[in-house]
Amino acid sequence: MATVQVSEAEKVYILHGIRDDLRVDGRGCEDYRHMEIETDVVSNTDGSAKVTLGDTAVLVGVKADIGKPRPKVPNEGYVEFFVDCSANATPEFEGRGGEELGTELSNTLYKVFNNKHSVDLKSLCISAGEHCWVLYVDVLLLQCDGNLYDAISVAIKAALFNTKIPRVHISADEEGGKEIELSDDPYDCVRLNVENVPCIVTLCKVGHRHVVDATLQEKACSVASLIISVTHKGTITCTRKVGGGSLDPESIFEMTEAGKRVGKALHAPLMKLLQQEESLGKARQKVGFLG
Amino acid sequence: MLKSKTFVKKTRSGGVMKIVREHYLRDDIWCGSEVCTECKQESTALQRDPCMESNLCSYPHYVIPDTNVVLHQIDVLEDQVIRNVIILQTVLAEVRHRSAPIYKRLKDIVHEKEKNFYTFTNEHHRETFIEREPGESANDRNDRAIRVAAKWYSEHLKKSESDTDPLKVVLLTNDQGNKQKAEESGLLVYKCEEYIKSLIGNPELVDRLALSNDDKNDITSSKVLFPEHLPLSRIQAGLKNGTFLQGTFRASRDNYLEATVFVQGEGEESTEVLIQGLQNLNRSVYQDVVAVQLLPRDQWVVPSSVVLQDEGAAKDDNEEEGEEEKELRVSAAEAARKPTGRVVGIIKRNWRPFCGMLNASIIKESTRHLFTPADRRIPRIRIETRQADALAGQRIMVAIDGWPKHSRYPNGHFVRTLGSAGDKETEQQVLLLEHDVPHQAFSQAVLSFLPTMPWEITPEVMVNREDLRSLIVCSVDPPGCTDIDDALHCRELDNGNLEVGVHIADVSHFIRPGNAMDKEAANRGTTVYLCGKRIDMVPELLSSNLCSLRSNVERLAFSCIWEINHEAEILKTRFTKSVIKSKASLTYAEAQMRIDDTTQTDDITKNLRGLNKLAKILKKHRILKGALTLSSLEVRFHIDSETHDPIDLQTKELMETNSMVEEFMLLANISVAQKIFDEFPDCAMLRKHPAPPPSNYDILLKAAKSKAVEIHTDSAKALADSLDVARVDGFPYFNTLLRILATRCMMQAVYFCSGMDSDFHHYGLASPIYTHFTSPIRRYADIIVHRLLAVAIAADKTYPDLMDKQKQSALSNNLNYRHKMSQYAQRASVAFHTQLFFKSRGILNEEGFVLFVRKNAIIVLIPKFGLEGTVFFDSKNKAAPNVVFDEEGPSLTVEQHTFHMFDRVMVTISLDASNIQHQKIRMSLIEPVIPGVSVSAPEVEPLAKKPRLDR
Repeated sequence: MATVQVSEAEKVYILHGIRDDLRVDGRGCEDYRHMEIETDVVSNTDGSAKVTLGDTAVLVGVKADIGKPRPKVPNEGYVEFFVDCSANATPEFEGRGGEELGTELSNTLYKVFNNKHSVDLKSLCISAGEHCWVLYVDVLLLQCDGNLYDAISVAIKAALFNTKIPRVHISADEEGGKEIELSDDPYDCVRLNVENVPCIVTLCKVGHRHVVDATLQEKACSVASLIISVTHKGTITCTRKVGGGSLDPESIFEMTEAGKRVGKALHAPLMKLLQQEESLGKARQKVGFLG
Repeated sequence: MLKSKTFVKKTRSGGVMKIVREHYLRDDIWCGSEVCTECKQESTALQRDPCMESNLCSYPHYVIPDTNVVLHQIDVLEDQVIRNVIILQTVLAEVRHRSAPIYKRLKDIVHEKEKNFYTFTNEHHRETFIEREPGESANDRNDRAIRVAAKWYSEHLKKSESDTDPLKVVLLTNDQGNKQKAEESGLLVYKCEEYIKSLIGNPELVDRLALSNDDKNDITSSKVLFPEHLPLSRIQAGLKNGTFLQGTFRASRDNYLEATVFVQGEGEESTEVLIQGLQNLNRSVYQDVVAVQLLPRDQWVVPSSVVLQDEGAAKDDNEEEGEEEKELRVSAAEAARKPTGRVVGIIKRNWRPFCGMLNASIIKESTRHLFTPADRRIPRIRIETRQADALAGQRIMVAIDGWPKHSRYPNGHFVRTLGSAGDKETEQQVLLLEHDVPHQAFSQAVLSFLPTMPWEITPEVMVNREDLRSLIVCSVDPPGCTDIDDALHCRELDNGNLEVGVHIADVSHFIRPGNAMDKEAANRGTTVYLCGKRIDMVPELLSSNLCSLRSNVERLAFSCIWEINHEAEILKTRFTKSVIKSKASLTYAEAQMRIDDTTQTDDITKNLRGLNKLAKILKKHRILKGALTLSSLEVRFHIDSETHDPIDLQTKELMETNSMVEEFMLLANISVAQKIFDEFPDCAMLRKHPAPPPSNYDILLKAAKSKAVEIHTDSAKALADSLDVARVDGFPYFNTLLRILATRCMMQAVYFCSGMDSDFHHYGLASPIYTHFTSPIRRYADIIVHRLLAVAIAADKTYPDLMDKQKQSALSNNLNYRHKMSQYAQRASVAFHTQLFFKSRGILNEEGFVLFVRKNAIIVLIPKFGLEGTVFFDSKNKAAPNVVFDEEGPSLTVEQHTFHMFDRVMVTISLDASNIQHQKIRMSLIEPVIPGVSVSAPEVEPLAKKPRLDR
């Protein structure tokens, strides 16, 4: 991951600031940076979203394809993740430099999202045991400026919200042979219920306190961080500690509580924003990547 | 401006793909009208003052048809009257998607300058492009696009209004919903029928309107005559699990209530399913691809031998068909029953415009008439026309529009007239069209590949070519032949052996692979010879001049030269491209005279004698090996040089020289076949003649047995030998009749690619391998063989298609088809000229022989004219005589007399012109006298009195 060099004096400055709930860029400890979301940015995906958080930028595309359900859960579809750490984001990703991070990120995302409590996997089933929809979620890191997890999770939620799965009909003939028929109307599609899709909140332990949405400098001052995925109801679906240092149980508890609070507060404006954008329909001015 | 079109598609592997296409809109698409001052167009297609006299739209206007109007009424649009039409891109794209032939026709119209058709690319026009809206079907979207474009036009033309009347646009649609919406948005819109009917200046156009669905209702009663066709999805499912079979529908020529469906099985397995009765035929038309369901075994039937034609006035839809159908059902031995089925659905219609004549309705004012196609396998078609009087006696073309389940006949519409019936030109055209013979003049593109005249032999041409100009070469052909493709020579060598050369016109030198001329020739496949007319495969400059091996001119040839000893054993064979200079072009008769005339001792005559001697030995060898000598009667007309009417008719006479030429051609073909097969075992084009299945000989065996003669059919040799000894005292013609019959038992010889087949045997010639090499001017197969041989002897370059066995195989299929069709056309032409002849000769009494015995008729052959005719014993207006048919004989007992095959009868022949639909030769029995059946011999009118037939 992109790292920055922070001098001792800077470190002290940041630590003291956070202790007094005042961060270098003027935010409080539980504040996010400025966030921009745009959906339907890649026309040949079934759903896509671009999120910028500070200077962090991620693009998420969702492709729906027909596959075979996993044998253990014949009546559910599944989601697959792939994170591409583009060398655009930072020169360190060049060549195979980003592979390790990519794998780590996609493994985490898999844990967070691929369960029936996060995504309504049952609705992805076409015919039990035979056909189901597989959602391929491709994440592309465009720029790294700290707090990748949160940005990615918001982008995934937005992209899933935006996903339109073509409606299919199963026609069975007398012999029991099943044929999948596609509707010829491109508007005839199914939307996913994204209500329960969690968002990830990363809490960085800096000194004795913790902050959300840490910048790269703050990250450099932190020994460990906790990833917490929270649904809109405040249910925690996954926690994970990253970083080299250790956390004492008490601060884990505190951080979880804070994560819950922040996560819960994140969902409502996000959903509102997405619905607002959706309601604009075709009239919406697209911003894209150059705007 | 950039838009994108999105749609989802199912991939072959079952996945789903979302496809996004970029779609660019422009602001520089012009309207194409002369009136317009706004558009900066360079040329305009639509005229300033379009005049179409319509009493619905009396103002100048342009017409915009919607997709369905184009699809169904293309015949109307093709008419010269319809001009100034705007074809929208939406319409064009939809037509293209729905029907390739109609798309091609539409494109042709658009390219025609005088028609003033304009294609407006509305999908790329900034102001007329629309996006599909949620909940809108693709069709609705297209309808809306058409309306938007029409609206745009009417507004656009209003803007550029000049001093004259404002131009308007008229939208034609048959869709009620679309029409209503268009009216709401203030467009001028009419139904296609309404509009065409309003064209008061051209009432005949109405006939060309195809009947649309809502018109049909009033034509037919509500009674459902036919079972519903199954939808395609069910047919496909049925085909998959084997309950249905897919095959080509072949109606019977003799019986309109019977047909077979040819089911192509895997490999050699192919079966025929018999279909009997109107219900089971279920609206199939000849050549349709249909799905059939086999009936249970106890309902299987035998093909009936009744000759049944759908004649007379239009049958009422409600009328019970039972009577005629009952006749078909015969109780037969279990073994004779054939797999029988019924048609459950149509997979692909193969309708084309059919030639035929109008069968005017008895009610004078009626506009609905029946049309009788020239091809008896096509059902009669009901058409609507107001010009029945004008069309009576004319040969016309009619296209089928549909066959609703409650109609006895398919509905169709009039396309065009070909000319008056009986007229030679018209009839010729009819039979060319009916047999799918490409007969248009050669296109400019084809002619551009002809060598420039004057043509002469240049040194480049002489590379790889032997100079044989000094040889005494001559050609022997039928009289009047202008496309001479073979010449011969024979000379004695120093070692005492003979050198014999067969020189074939080097057509492949002029026709280079892949160019337009080559493609055209490959498509035509063969030259078609009709009576008094030849439809060339290659342009005349080649066929009658540069490639024709005429005497005393230098010509390029492909030579096959053998060294042969006096016992006609081949010692050496070689092939070479050459230049020859024929010394004489003889007819068979001339050549025969020279051989017979002992006083002549010139080189040519000596040559001919040598050839003749060898040919006799060759023929003997061949017959020893088991080659068949079969017989079919060929007739020749003496054509009046001025009127081109036949004035006399004689069967072709065969002379020794015929067989002399034939013998060497066979030898050349066999030698070449061996050579190209050795050289290219995978892609040699060969010709095979499969041995007929034993059941084919049944009729021959039965017939012979009835005359106490035994015929063996175990092998070609056995057959040939037994035919040679088959004689009946006092019946000299018996042997010929047997041979005629044997010919009919044979299979068709076919071209094939050696890499695709393993059986090369030629049954009739008793040769293990055979091909066609000797007539490249009139057969395309020979050109391919020439090319292969040229490559084999390194005289020419090869090209990829020549070595591609798939393509070779596809080519052979086309050649076989064309060959078959040309034979049919030839026969039809002879039949027509025979009719003309009998028209001029009046009634004749002739001796004939019974060739076949049918259930209600006998088929009689008149050897003098090579004519076959049917004598019916149950005519509609007379009480049917007591007729008993015995299948085993086969014999037919009428009252007291029993007819066997080969019986001698006297018949009177006349032309039955009472039915102008199908003029036919009528035969009635004179001898033996059967009271109530035979007729008394009418006076034969002396020939001199009879005026020549009116033209």
